[in-house]
Amino acid sequence: MAILTVENLSKNYGHIKALKGVSFSVPKGSVYGILGPNGSGKTTLLGIIMNVLRPTAGSYKLFDEAATDEHRKQIGTLLETPNFYHYLSAVRNLKITAAIKGHGEEDIEKVLKIVNLWQRKDSAFSTYSLGMKQRLAIGAALLGDPDVLVFDEPTNGLDPVGIAEIRNLIKELSANGKTIIMASHLLDEVQKVCTHVAILQQGSLVASGSVEEIFAQDDIVQLRAQDMEKLRQLAGQITGGKKFSVNDNYIEISFDAGSPDLESINRLCFDNGIVLSHLQLKKNSLETKFLELTTAK
Amino acid sequence: MNKLLKIEWLKIKNYVAFKVVAIFFIVGIAGINYLAYYFKKRVIDRADPTGLLSGGLPFAFPKVWQTVSYYSGCLLLLPALLLLILVTNEYTYRTSRQNIIDGLSRKQFIESKMMMGLLIALASTIIVFIMALIFGFSSGTDFNAKGIENIGFFFLKAFTYNLVAILMAVLVKRTGFAIAVFFIYTVVENGISLALFVWAVNIKRDSGTDLGNMGNYLPMNASDGLLYSPFSSVANMARSILPGDYNWLVLGLALLYVILFFYWGRMKFIKSDL
Repeated sequence: MAILTVENLSKNYGHIKALKGVSFSVPKGSVYGILGPNGSGKTTLLGIIMNVLRPTAGSYKLFDEAATDEHRKQIGTLLETPNFYHYLSAVRNLKITAAIKGHGEEDIEKVLKIVNLWQRKDSAFSTYSLGMKQRLAIGAALLGDPDVLVFDEPTNGLDPVGIAEIRNLIKELSANGKTIIMASHLLDEVQKVCTHVAILQQGSLVASGSVEEIFAQDDIVQLRAQDMEKLRQLAGQITGGKKFSVNDNYIEISFDAGSPDLESINRLCFDNGIVLSHLQLKKNSLETKFLELTTAK
Repeated sequence: MNKLLKIEWLKIKNYVAFKVVAIFFIVGIAGINYLAYYFKKRVIDRADPTGLLSGGLPFAFPKVWQTVSYYSGCLLLLPALLLLILVTNEYTYRTSRQNIIDGLSRKQFIESKMMMGLLIALASTIIVFIMALIFGFSSGTDFNAKGIENIGFFFLKAFTYNLVAILMAVLVKRTGFAIAVFFIYTVVENGISLALFVWAVNIKRDSGTDLGNMGNYLPMNASDGLLYSPFSSVANMARSILPGDYNWLVLGLALLYVILFFYWGRMKFIKSDL
């Protein structure tokens, strides 16, 4: 079952195109990362799904059905900023959330303890620090123990300990079978906690799929020899090579991770009369991969 | 609907501004009527001891319905401003967004605000009703329901003001700016209303055509125009040269404006991005 299916979703603000025909689907039980730099359309996308923004075109489904208010009540959501009544305490704010959702009032103590706000449960929201506000928003999302959670930049404003706590919480929720949809501009965060990812760039979907698939990190072999021309001709014969690039100093060949066999490459060259003056295995960094994905267009 | 009102109640019951405005409003109603009473006793009673010119003693039954409704009506900006702030707060705190995210429909959200406008108008009306009873009985006269429709006009005025306030809040979204627009609108409408009145007087004088007090045909003035000052002796004497009061027309327009404000505010909230 798909928790969320997005079909050809577009959103224009005047002549600015914030989303350009995005489609993907979130499988049940996944931790689905929506990754993209600031302004790439992550929040716009989630805003449409949560009915606070009107799509210009396209459609979406929740739980394989046309989305209704009842569906949103079954989803815990933190969208963009923690939104609460400033003059009310944490408990009173959560009572309102529970009243809207129609369930979860009995969970207030539990969730405030999970997000470490129980001590401050009676303080007005306006007295909270940025991190505490963010934690209250996560707590509100947990009310009523929903099976689906939507977190938009959940670690925003948190200190390193808080970030680690929230990441662990997400992993724990996922281990308990929850589906989590998480927007983030932090590559490393997505890689650490997500099982699936959709990458947005200027409102377009650049790639989507499982994290291993998308972030398969290629191994790169760098070669140099006296006769670069001859080496280049030979490079095509190397087994397992996927992509070749030539720059001033090296020929670079990319391989699936763990597959290049330097010894056989060296032998092949030597047998063909090329003596390598440089042979090196390099790991493609995640950042390089991300840049590749988001700039190659 | 019960559930929605419970949610609204959770939002306001610990809101200091709500309590302050409620107290100010109740004290204000008692105060303004007492001031009018004091003025009547000290000034009007000397000139018109039997209430002949005003068509009855203003604080005795049955005239008291009109008197108390008229003076209390001057304070209706207070609850309207409260509502305006309650709605713009939702934008400031972005809770309008969060409420929808958490599962309210947009229609439910805006209609619960309108319902609050209705309830606050009802509560104000009950206060005014009780106040009229107090003044009426303390003047030593017997209960008389003649002219009690003024209480209904008061309610209509209160509800109109509240709906205008909600509409302004939904259109403008920022508290300070919305309050400014609300006041400027009120002043401008009253200005135009006065000009229309003068125009109507001139038309009647020049051509004999009586178009009524056209100043009362504008949105907020329509519900204002149903409540008359109890001390309108000058106006009574000048009746022959002033345009007539087409009360049914004004009432019809006032009701029409209520419907207009309701659907406009509702549509705006349902259709726009939050």
